[in-house]
Amino acid sequence: MLISMRWLGRHVDLSGVDPEQLALDLTLSTAEVEGVERFAPYLSDVVVGHVLEREKHPDADKLCICKLDVGTGESLQIVCGAPNVAAGQRVAVATVGTVLPGDFKIKKSKIRGVHSVGMICSERELGLSDEHDGIWVLPGEPTTGAPVAEALGIDDWVLEIDNKSLTHRPDLWGHRGVAREVAAILDRPLLPLDTSLPELGGADPVKVLVESPACSRYIGLSIDGVGEGKTPDWMRCMLLATGQRPIDLLVDLSNFVMGDLGQPNHTFDRDQLARDGILVREAREGETLVTLDEVERKLRPADLLICSGDKAVALAGIMGGQDSKVQQGTGRLLLEVACFEPVPVRRTSARLGLRTDSSARFEKHLDPTLPLKAAGHFARLLQEFQPDVTFPASLADAGDWSDPACEVALNPDQVRRSLGVGISDEEMSALLSSIDFGVQANEKGLMVSVPSNRATKDIAIEMDLIEEVGRLYRYGNIPERHLTGALVPPPVDHRRELAESCRDLLAGGARFHETLSYSFQSDALHQMLGLDGESYVSVINPVQEGSARIRRQVLPSLLGLLEPNRRQRDEVRLFEIGKGYLPEQVSDRGEPGEVHELALVLCKARQSDTSFDEGCLARLMAVVQDLLSSLEFRELQFVAVEQAPVSWVHPVRRVELRVGSGDGACVGFVAELDPGLATPLGIDGELVSDTAVASISLDALLEQERSGGSYNPLPRYPGFKIDVAIVAPEEVPARDLSGVIEKAGKGNAKDLVVFDLFRGDQLGAGRRSLAYHLVLQSDKKTLTDKDAQSFLRRLERGLGEIGAELRS
Amino acid sequence: MDKQTNLENAQARIAEASDQAVLADLERELLGRDGLLGQQLKEIPSLPPPERGPAGRAANELKAALTAGLLARAAELAETDLAADREGIGFDATLPAPPVERGSLHPITKVTRKLVQIFSSMGYHILDGPEVELDWYNFEALNIPADHPARDSQDTFYCDEQGRLVLRTHTSPVQVRAMERMAPPFRLVCPGKVFRHENTDATHEHTFHQMEGLVVGKDISVGHLVGTMKTLLRGIFGKEIDVRLRPGHFPFVEPGFELDARCVFCESGCRVCKGTCWIELLPCGLVHPKVLEAAGIDSSEWSGFAFGLGLSRLAMLSHGIDDVRHLLGGDLRFLEQFSC
Ligand SMILES: [Zn+2]
Repeated sequence: MLISMRWLGRHVDLSGVDPEQLALDLTLSTAEVEGVERFAPYLSDVVVGHVLEREKHPDADKLCICKLDVGTGESLQIVCGAPNVAAGQRVAVATVGTVLPGDFKIKKSKIRGVHSVGMICSERELGLSDEHDGIWVLPGEPTTGAPVAEALGIDDWVLEIDNKSLTHRPDLWGHRGVAREVAAILDRPLLPLDTSLPELGGADPVKVLVESPACSRYIGLSIDGVGEGKTPDWMRCMLLATGQRPIDLLVDLSNFVMGDLGQPNHTFDRDQLARDGILVREAREGETLVTLDEVERKLRPADLLICSGDKAVALAGIMGGQDSKVQQGTGRLLLEVACFEPVPVRRTSARLGLRTDSSARFEKHLDPTLPLKAAGHFARLLQEFQPDVTFPASLADAGDWSDPACEVALNPDQVRRSLGVGISDEEMSALLSSIDFGVQANEKGLMVSVPSNRATKDIAIEMDLIEEVGRLYRYGNIPERHLTGALVPPPVDHRRELAESCRDLLAGGARFHETLSYSFQSDALHQMLGLDGESYVSVINPVQEGSARIRRQVLPSLLGLLEPNRRQRDEVRLFEIGKGYLPEQVSDRGEPGEVHELALVLCKARQSDTSFDEGCLARLMAVVQDLLSSLEFRELQFVAVEQAPVSWVHPVRRVELRVGSGDGACVGFVAELDPGLATPLGIDGELVSDTAVASISLDALLEQERSGGSYNPLPRYPGFKIDVAIVAPEEVPARDLSGVIEKAGKGNAKDLVVFDLFRGDQLGAGRRSLAYHLVLQSDKKTLTDKDAQSFLRRLERGLGEIGAELRS
Repeated sequence: MDKQTNLENAQARIAEASDQAVLADLERELLGRDGLLGQQLKEIPSLPPPERGPAGRAANELKAALTAGLLARAAELAETDLAADREGIGFDATLPAPPVERGSLHPITKVTRKLVQIFSSMGYHILDGPEVELDWYNFEALNIPADHPARDSQDTFYCDEQGRLVLRTHTSPVQVRAMERMAPPFRLVCPGKVFRHENTDATHEHTFHQMEGLVVGKDISVGHLVGTMKTLLRGIFGKEIDVRLRPGHFPFVEPGFELDARCVFCESGCRVCKGTCWIELLPCGLVHPKVLEAAGIDSSEWSGFAFGLGLSRLAMLSHGIDDVRHLLGGDLRFLEQFSC
């Protein structure tokens, strides 16, 4: 909201007040001021010129040559095209070098052969209005040569207040409300404002019937004898300064009263009203109304209408109807000043996407005593500008409303306890009185009368009053204090601890990068992965079509990151720890089941000569194995199982991850991506990659025991290293080979590691060679060459039994 | 050849040995079975007994002389090698060191950890709560009834037509869940992901991270809130940071504040603080009595304060990140910059 300092000055003396300081004061005590700007700065650059002579241009019918005094001592010649310029006028002159709105710089020029040094400005050229039929003739006799803004007294500063900080303060949606705060802050009096109704005639008022509780009060004031007239410049400038374009006297006055008191109002042509007068009712199904902005609005029964007779003429509290526009020259008016309930106004305005200055104010819950004051204010201002207007009828005042003013008890000790400051009873009474709260001391403390303008929404309980005291006292004057109390170590959150350890290990030794993704997963992704059939928690109002589903699993979120990252990097290593939601596991209260998952992807540009231990799947298995062992999970197994963990991984190259003794419990899987997904995911062609993925359930892991294991005594006898290469049929699994080696070692074959896998013609079809490093070591004696020989003999025999052999 | 000449020849060859390998060969040749010394030793048994003694001594002298010569030359060569090594030929200090690849932690994780560490050290519980939340916890219990404007302005993602289930719009519901099962006094923070129905651009995001804080105890005051926030900022920035409280309105606190921190990036206004020297850091306030009561806590006995830290915002501030969309974008070029 825009607040004009000159406007505020009508309510409180602002002499000597610095705009920036005022903005800061309001920010600290009342509401956030987001900006301070000088109003129409170019009005300070143009000067008052006195037209000395006006002659016709010799070579152009529509132009004239003017001689002006701009206070410099010599007269200025300006060629002007305006029809209304005349000698004797005071006008706004932009001299050479002045910059006008639109970055328009005034230069010396020659117009049809005549020199011209400057420009006489129209209102539009100064950004004051759309008036461009002629130049702006300044009112009165302002000092020649003075800047126009100062000479006319329309220089101004505008404060922009953040609307969000005013949501609970309907009283601050007008200058008088802000002025009340400023007066309290500056400790200056709020100037009196006469808002009483002028003398009313005795005719019957316009009939007003309120059918809906959504209108708590409807005031109708009949006005006669309204003539055509111009809005005074000071008012037009204040409206301009606060972002309202001046239109005509009635509209400007209506806007001014709204900007002054915060009370929206509306004028109707009384001659156009039906004989039955005004009816306030809810819309009927299928009813429509063309609003002032020339849009036909489809209405619903909850929308509130102002009707002439039964015909809708305005959308209550939001916008007038196109037909109800008061034509210039209408002499007989009805001024509507009403109070509408916030919720229906907000609903209708939100549904229609029609937010207006009026609806914004009603949404804040306006004071129902305000309409009467606003009607009086409007009437008195109009009378001031047009002394001939009369108010022929008594006031129509309908609706079921009550004064919200209330009393709230305040315990001064509670104020001191809550704020943490030793403020005296007298000080707090003075602060509350400064914003027109009544304060009475009684045996229990203070009884505070809350005025109606603060009681509709904001102030109802003691804590609300404590806020008033605190903000006016200034929170900055409250000394900082430290919490005291028993120091008890907070309980350990095992899941958090596990997640944090995973992060450290993966980002550390495993060199993975942590990412966080959106919880939404797109329908397209689910279709691609064949996950469409699953049930999901979905939002009914997604930001993007097709992205309404909340993920069940984290891992698919990482798949979309492969292609863009592979464009930048040959290798992509990512992990995420996040949540998934399962609607089928709903709680009694309706909460969906929540799962916690660690997801990993390892994706690398495909190479033809990748050795057996450099493949993505092998590497990711190693990462997972290392992670879980570091986390002290025991008895880790990778198991090939019949049932695929998810539908979109490789049908064969996948393993289930099990932890714990015996068969262990499944805690996740490691797998290659199904090769058919490479193209849909965009990791084909020049980005062709090997991709392994893993998903580990933190929930399942937390159910498994962890132990640091016990110490192994250091070996007492030296061992020696042996390398063996074994040629075996492809179908013999590596696990069987290592079993044979261990058996041949009789407990002395240790630290078994595969270091090569080889296939080749010399081995014969369907055979492969696996090479192992191992250490022969006994804890009973020093082993000799002889022991090694017998180990190899046993090994050869054992291998023979499964169709394998030692490779020489 | 006489023995003296043989020795001189041998010494000369030792002196000429160009490196340790040549010297080692020479040592084997001279001191070995068939070498100079070996010859002399072989002759001894065939000599007449009286000459054997002197011949043996001569052989020992020869051995001693050769060994000494070899050792001396070895020492000389070692010295030369060291000197050559120290010349450091071919070293280029400007040749870049080979890169060490590392992993990274997400900036949100990093800032969360920092805060969790500070709060844990002050006895706060660290709590987690659901991202898909009941309307009761997200709104009702926080003094935001149906038709409250905050429900519009918070632009909520609704999960059903009845509005019973929402994506939480803040981490505040976790404080209600906590209050329901914990008996005061307590201190807690709840970091997590939150959602606002909003189109994304460089400064707006529909998914971001927050950390809610709540302290409930006896006679908790605004002064405690200020003290706690200053302690927090000292922990984050490692120095004393001025703060200011100004009025702010949030339905679940009363009085409510916006807490601004003195800009840490400038002395007299900069882009981050939009020239004001203050950075709007967090909304906070004393817990509204209705919120305490909704969670079953007697508001006449207990009071408290609550605050909401924007983790995404803090991460952006502390790393100078200028586009919020990077945070959840998963671009390695971004993530790699936060190596752990
Ligand atoms: Zn700054």
